[in-house]
Amino acid sequence: MAGDRMAKLKGFAGNIREHWNTPEEGRYVPYKEYLDIFVGVGSNYAGSKTLEYIGFGAWCYLMMYHYKLPLLTYSVIGIINMPLGYIWTLIWWYVCDNLGFLAKKTERTLYIIYCSMIAVGLALIIAPVSLLFDQSGGFVTYLNSFEGISCASAFKILGTHILYNGWVGARNIFWRKHLLPKYGRYKYGLYCDYLPKCIMVILIGWLPLYNIPDVVTRVWASNLLFACYNVFGFGNNLETCTQNISPNSRERILVRTYPIKLSHLAQSILAIILPAIIGMLKGDWQSINIFRYVIPITFITFATLTMIFAGRIKERIPQPPLERKVSIGFWDGMFGVMGNKYRWVITIVRLLDSLGNGMLAFTTILYLYTFRLSGLTYSLLVALVSFAGTPPDFFTPYFMKRFSFRQVMIFFQLSRAVGFSVIVAALYFFRDRLVLSGIICVVMLILMEMCKTVPVSIEHDMDVRINDYQMYLSGERLESFSGVFGWFTGPITSFVGLIIPLLLLQYGFNSNWDVLYIDESRVNIIIVPIIIDIIGYLLMTIPYFFWDYDDDKQNKVMAVLKRREEVTTAQAESRVKEEIANG
Amino acid sequence: MAEKKEAERILSDPPEEKEKRAKKPEKKKKSAMADPRDYEDYKNSIPEDEIWTWQIEGLQAPHVHKEYHNAALKKFIVVIVLLVSIGLAIYFSVRAVHNVTYKYQDMPEGGVMLVKFSNPGDITEVTLDFADGDENRPITALREYAFNCDEKITEVTIGRDVTSLDGKTFYTCNALKAIHVDPDNPAYCDLDGVLFTKDLTELICYPIDHDQYLRDKYGYDRQYWPENAEYDAKYEMLINTYVVPPEVKVVGKLAFNYAELFNVYLPEGLERIETLGFFRNWHLADLRTYTGEVTFEPEGKAKTSKDFTEKPSLPDSLTFIGSDAFNSAICINYLYIPANVQEIGHHAFWGMAENEDDRLVKEIYIARSEEDFKKNVKTGDQWMGQYDHGLFPKNTDVVYGQTRKTLEEIGKAATK
Repeated sequence: MAGDRMAKLKGFAGNIREHWNTPEEGRYVPYKEYLDIFVGVGSNYAGSKTLEYIGFGAWCYLMMYHYKLPLLTYSVIGIINMPLGYIWTLIWWYVCDNLGFLAKKTERTLYIIYCSMIAVGLALIIAPVSLLFDQSGGFVTYLNSFEGISCASAFKILGTHILYNGWVGARNIFWRKHLLPKYGRYKYGLYCDYLPKCIMVILIGWLPLYNIPDVVTRVWASNLLFACYNVFGFGNNLETCTQNISPNSRERILVRTYPIKLSHLAQSILAIILPAIIGMLKGDWQSINIFRYVIPITFITFATLTMIFAGRIKERIPQPPLERKVSIGFWDGMFGVMGNKYRWVITIVRLLDSLGNGMLAFTTILYLYTFRLSGLTYSLLVALVSFAGTPPDFFTPYFMKRFSFRQVMIFFQLSRAVGFSVIVAALYFFRDRLVLSGIICVVMLILMEMCKTVPVSIEHDMDVRINDYQMYLSGERLESFSGVFGWFTGPITSFVGLIIPLLLLQYGFNSNWDVLYIDESRVNIIIVPIIIDIIGYLLMTIPYFFWDYDDDKQNKVMAVLKRREEVTTAQAESRVKEEIANG
Repeated sequence: MAEKKEAERILSDPPEEKEKRAKKPEKKKKSAMADPRDYEDYKNSIPEDEIWTWQIEGLQAPHVHKEYHNAALKKFIVVIVLLVSIGLAIYFSVRAVHNVTYKYQDMPEGGVMLVKFSNPGDITEVTLDFADGDENRPITALREYAFNCDEKITEVTIGRDVTSLDGKTFYTCNALKAIHVDPDNPAYCDLDGVLFTKDLTELICYPIDHDQYLRDKYGYDRQYWPENAEYDAKYEMLINTYVVPPEVKVVGKLAFNYAELFNVYLPEGLERIETLGFFRNWHLADLRTYTGEVTFEPEGKAKTSKDFTEKPSLPDSLTFIGSDAFNSAICINYLYIPANVQEIGHHAFWGMAENEDDRLVKEIYIARSEEDFKKNVKTGDQWMGQYDHGLFPKNTDVVYGQTRKTLEEIGKAATK
């Protein structure tokens, strides 16, 4: 028995040695690339997670303790930006799903539009446009009535939105066209954003805009600062790239389960170390030094590591060469995604999931306000809960074989509903016994985390498969055009998303969070949104009953895509030969 | 079509695979995921001229390089649906975040409750007597958190008909300097801008910016701190010291939250300090208990009655200390829990010491013996607070069976 195991182990090691630089037959990824994925994705993930400490929202400690903007202001800014946002999004989709390769005339027109937007945006920010209106009139009075906003600042916020979209749009065409052929569709963004993002991360901590005494000025100035910060992305691009690392769906899931999962260890360690360091600062989470030193140093370190390893990870989508790719017209894109039944199912599920939008991070409240944790104790508990999901994730390939996507997802929603119901019961019935109710909550969080990681991995894999299916249907993946579903659901999600913040305001919640020290308010602030969320989880099981996309269909889709690649590549090569022959 | 059927057949029923499957146990067969490599034949069976039209069984047909049927009608429908969706999204969102200045709710027993006040930005003084000035709709109640988060209101006048409110009504009104009450109000009154029940037995709200009110009253043009040259005993006495009236039995919920007080005199006779009573009193250093009478003259002198006495820390009459009552009161220099205290809420003294070196309160002194205290006093979780000690926090030390120190012993001169 032991001899068998040794032989297997030796065989495995030999296999790794043999295929270190070249993949085995039927596979596409050499083992050397597994190592690159481990370091590269780990750094990218840790870097992008570090940025989660920075954001224009009440949840961000910088905003909470230093900017202190009124809670509803974030929603009001969202509404000011909403109408024009729809227009910019249309253009964005069109550019993205054509990979930045547009007809010359279209490209010129879009550049003119984007440059004009930059000019208009700047003008609205600088010029006192509000003076054009009657200061005692209804329009000005109405705008002045919003919390943290005045008529003058509303125009500056609108200008910021227009400036941001013009700037981002122009960059999108320019960099896609120049970098995508070399770096692929998923990781090109790292190359153009790395440096400016590092600069912006430093500026966020060092520009003392939070010292502006007038709240209205503080609102528009911080909005402008964060808009500039958001122009440059640093998402988890390498992980997205690895989701498309192989046309072999088994190999994809192997990569996702082992090197990627292990690479997340870097972030897990960071999740322990960072809060511990922050706990050592004077003022703990309230210290501005988090944003001046801790975040920039951490981010720049991981971002640099990411850039070193990014070039070694390849995307391998079976697709026609760029010169033979399918050109997607606007309506082709719209009808293409709307004709995909699985996207509708996913849309309905996410719509139902929006029932919990706007609720505060329950775990944060539990750790900081119920348990009053800080420093190392806080980090260890956070790490324990988040680590609980890691071991089950190594069994994702098994669960994928054993159970259908439908079964897994229904189980997932039910596990969340049951878990949160127990939490609600604990908080309600043991509201005076903080330690007891807290322990029950933590145990449930651990169990829920263990039930979460496998479905989430399988769901991510299914997202990639649905993009493959879309490519079979429409000739392109149409990842951007799939955003149109958000438009149909937008009215509902934006309305539903306001229900919980408004409820929270009634329970006394505001930007300083101190109301969470009041027991009865804390219970209301936690329990009511969670109950709404539980209803969402139960309803979310229904759409999954209509899911019938299985492994057999996926493999056939990949076979069709590979065949298309073969044929179009051969056609492109023969055309080149023909052109050479014709001189 | 024939080729397609053949491809399906190759995939679904290759003879060698059939044989293999027959040998496998039923359980494994059920769970086996097809190997993508098995689909090589399927791929090769797709003719070159059908790569954009090849339909997989059970899935929709591809739609590449083709016109859509009824495209104009479909476009029209999509545009209309999207416009309606966008319009509704904006309408609902604007409605949700736009607030009327005063939101009222009719009360079943008559009168109205002020549910929410949303400051349009320029209101600094509010009188709460009648809804929209209509004398037939008197305001009788103020909902908790009605003024939540307002940063502009400086003075509030409560009308004669208001008979229901609590300390949370004016929660985080950071600019609130004074609350005045109509003298005819049967339930509440104010003493120099501080809100009480009519009989003065409960102190409901000491406005957060009341020190500014006092500066205005005594002619100080700005706030001074002990490190400023202008800061003297007179300033400290008039602005940063408060004497809770002798009739008061209860310091209400959030009564002194965020108050800029350095010294507070509590009357012997005080029975309860409710939840968050002295929450976030960062500068509160000196808590004293007094009997008799004491007032501060504008010249900065304390005027005391003949029977006036004072001693450090909490009154002997105290029986209840609510949760988070002294949360973050990091400057308190001496803390003594008298023998009458029967209940201490969770985290009552949380955050009073940040780390081992900085903490002012090294120990909490308790009158009862350890056995008596643990047996007879109901305590909430983590009531004594913690401070950073190495990698993990440590509970503040508690010393049982103590007698109260004198002002001289703790290095504070008596007011006399």
